[in-house]
Amino acid sequence: MKRLWRSMPLRLALMLVVLFGTVSLLSLAASYAFTRAAFEQSIRDDLAQDLAGFRAAPSARAVATLVQAESEGTDPDRLVLSYVTRTDQIFGNGAVGRDDEGFHIISLEEGRAELKGEYLALSARLYGGRLTIARSRAEIEALQPVFLNILWISLLPTVLIALSGGLILARRSQRHVEVIRGALERMTGGDLGARVVTGRRWSDDLLRIGTTVNGMAGAQERSVMALRQVSSDIAHDLKTPVQRVSLRLEALADVVEDGQAAELVAQTRDEVDEISAVFQSLLQLAQVENGALKKQFASVDLSLLCQTMVEVYEPTASQDNQTVMFAGPDEVIVQGEKNLLGQLVANLIENALRHTDEGAQISVAIAQTPSEITLSVTDDGPGIPESEFDRVTQRLYRLDRSRNTPGNGLGLSLVDGVARLHGAEMVLENADPGLRVIIRFAT
Amino acid sequence: MLDLMKLLVIEDDATTGTYIARGLREEGHVVDLMADGRAGLLAATNGGYDVLIVDRMLPHVDGLTLVKTLRGAGSTTPVLFLTAMGSVEDRIGGLNAGGDDYLLKPFAFGELSARVAALGRRPQVLEQETELQAGDLNLDLLTRKVTRDGQELDLLPREFSLLEFLLRRKGRVQTRTMLLEGVWDLSFDPMTNVVETHISRLRAKVDKPFPTELIKTVRGAGYRIDG
Repeated sequence: MKRLWRSMPLRLALMLVVLFGTVSLLSLAASYAFTRAAFEQSIRDDLAQDLAGFRAAPSARAVATLVQAESEGTDPDRLVLSYVTRTDQIFGNGAVGRDDEGFHIISLEEGRAELKGEYLALSARLYGGRLTIARSRAEIEALQPVFLNILWISLLPTVLIALSGGLILARRSQRHVEVIRGALERMTGGDLGARVVTGRRWSDDLLRIGTTVNGMAGAQERSVMALRQVSSDIAHDLKTPVQRVSLRLEALADVVEDGQAAELVAQTRDEVDEISAVFQSLLQLAQVENGALKKQFASVDLSLLCQTMVEVYEPTASQDNQTVMFAGPDEVIVQGEKNLLGQLVANLIENALRHTDEGAQISVAIAQTPSEITLSVTDDGPGIPESEFDRVTQRLYRLDRSRNTPGNGLGLSLVDGVARLHGAEMVLENADPGLRVIIRFAT
Repeated sequence: MLDLMKLLVIEDDATTGTYIARGLREEGHVVDLMADGRAGLLAATNGGYDVLIVDRMLPHVDGLTLVKTLRGAGSTTPVLFLTAMGSVEDRIGGLNAGGDDYLLKPFAFGELSARVAALGRRPQVLEQETELQAGDLNLDLLTRKVTRDGQELDLLPREFSLLEFLLRRKGRVQTRTMLLEGVWDLSFDPMTNVVETHISRLRAKVDKPFPTELIKTVRGAGYRIDG
C-alpha cells in the first residue's frame, strides 16, 4: 500500500486534486467578495434612499415624528433609526454613541443594552439635529455559511472521485508495471527467454515500454546465444587438434625409454588432460545453459546419488585424513538429469576436499520440507570471504589463494548452471568456520 | 589374451583415424579405416565386422544417419560412437540411434581399446555361474564369500562389487570411467583419482598379503585381472 501511494497515477491525481481545489477556492472566494460588495452597495443605496425620504420632511418636528413612527414597528437588530434634536432629545429605536473603540449603537429600551452585530450607518445633519440610520449587516454575514456550504458541496465529490479514480488507475498501472518488473527480474536471474506479456487494456506508454523491453530481451538473448555458440564452437574445434596431440603423446610414451624423456612425456600428457578437462567443462556448461536438456529430465533419487558420491570419495578423503559424511532421509526424488546432478555433487565434494586441509570434515546433507528440497555441502576449512561470494561462480574465476591448488575455476560455475537448469538456486553461506554451499530445489 | 576382432574405423580426421587404426592393429585386431560416411556405410554393410568405431561428424553421411541406416537394414554389429560434441544430449541421441557406447573426444587410446574390447564380447551374464575365479582367487556369488589361497578375505560390499566387475571381465582392461559406470552406476568426470583409491584399498586386501599381484594396472588405460 505504501508503494501504491508513491505510484505515479496517484501522485498525478493528488496533484490535480490540489490544483482543482485551489482554483475552486479562489473562484468561490472571488464571487463571495463580489456578492458581499454588491450587498453592501445595495444597503448603502437603501440608506441613502431612507435618508432622502426623511430630508423631505418640512421641520425638525416632522422628522422626529416620522422617525418615531417608523421605528415603532422596526426591529433594532435589523434597522436602527435615531434622531437627536438640537436639544438632545432622542427619537427612534436606538442611539449612536462614540467612545475610544469607535461607534456603538445602544438600545433605547429598558437596560440600554448595547446592540451586537455590525451595522452600516449613514448620518446627516437635519434641522439642527442629527439623523442616523443604521442597517444591520447580518444579511451579508449570512452569506458566509452559504458560500462555505457551496464550497463543500462542489469540492468534496470532485476530490473523492479524483482520488478513487487515481487509486484505481494506480492499481492497474501498478499491476502492469509489476508485469514488466517481473520480466526484468527473471531476465536478471538468467532466464533469457523471459518476456513482458502485455494485455489489451495496457496504456500506450506502458505498452511501448513493454514492447521495447521485449525487443531488448530478444536482442540480448540472440547475442548471448551467439556468444555461447562461439565459445562452444571454439572449444569444439580445438578438441580435434587436442585429440591428435593426446594420441601422439600416447604413442610417444610407448617408444621412449624410462627416464627424463618419459617423465616429460608424462607431464605433457597431464597438461593435455587438463586442457581437455577445461574444454569438457566449457562444453558441458554451454550445454547446461542452453536448457535443452530439460527434455531429458526423469526422476532421480538425490539421496541415493549423494550417498553413492560420498562413498566414491570416501577413500580419497581418508588419504588426507579428511572425512566425508552424508546425512539425510533415504529417498528424496527430484526431477532432473542424473549425470549432471552427479557432476554437481562431485564438484561440490571435490571443491570442499581441495580447499580444506588435513583432518577436515565435509558433510553432505539433504533436507526435505513440503516446499523445498535442499542439498548442502559444508566444510570446516578456511571458507570464502563473503565479498567473494558473487564472484566465485564466474567462469574461470579463482581466489588468489587458490591459484596453487588444482582446479580450473569452472567447478562452481557448472554447479550453478546445473542448479539453474533444475530450477534450483545455489546459495553460499558462511559456516563459521568453513563454507556451506546450498542447492535449493523448489518442489 | 584379447579376443582378436575385425574392426571398422570411420573417422574423417586422418591423424586421429590413423592413430586409432594403428593402435588397434598393434593389439592384433584387423582394422579397416574409412574417411567418410558414404564409404563407411558401404564397408559396414558388406564387411562382417565385429565392432564399428564411428565418428559422429562425417562428410557425406553423418555418423548418426549411418548407424540409423545400418540398424534399419537389420545390422546388429556393436557401434562405438566417437564424439567431439561431448554432451549428454548427444550421447542419448547417439544411443537412441542404435549406438552401443560412446567416447568423448579427446580420449585416451586405452579407453577406446578397453571399450572396443567390451563391445566385441559384451559381458555375458551366465545365469548358472555362481563362482568367479582368477588364479587362486575365488568369489562365490551366492554366499558372497571371497577366498584367496584358501583364506577368506573380508571385503566391504562395494569392494566385493568392484572385484566381481573385474572378474566378470577377466582378461580385459576396465578403464576408470567404465568402473564408475559399471560399479557405481555413475557417469561424471572426477577431477581426482577416486577410482585409484578404491582399487588400492581392494588391492590392500586382495593382493598385498599374497606373493602375486592379481589386479594389474594398465598404464594410461585402467585395470585388469588376468585369468
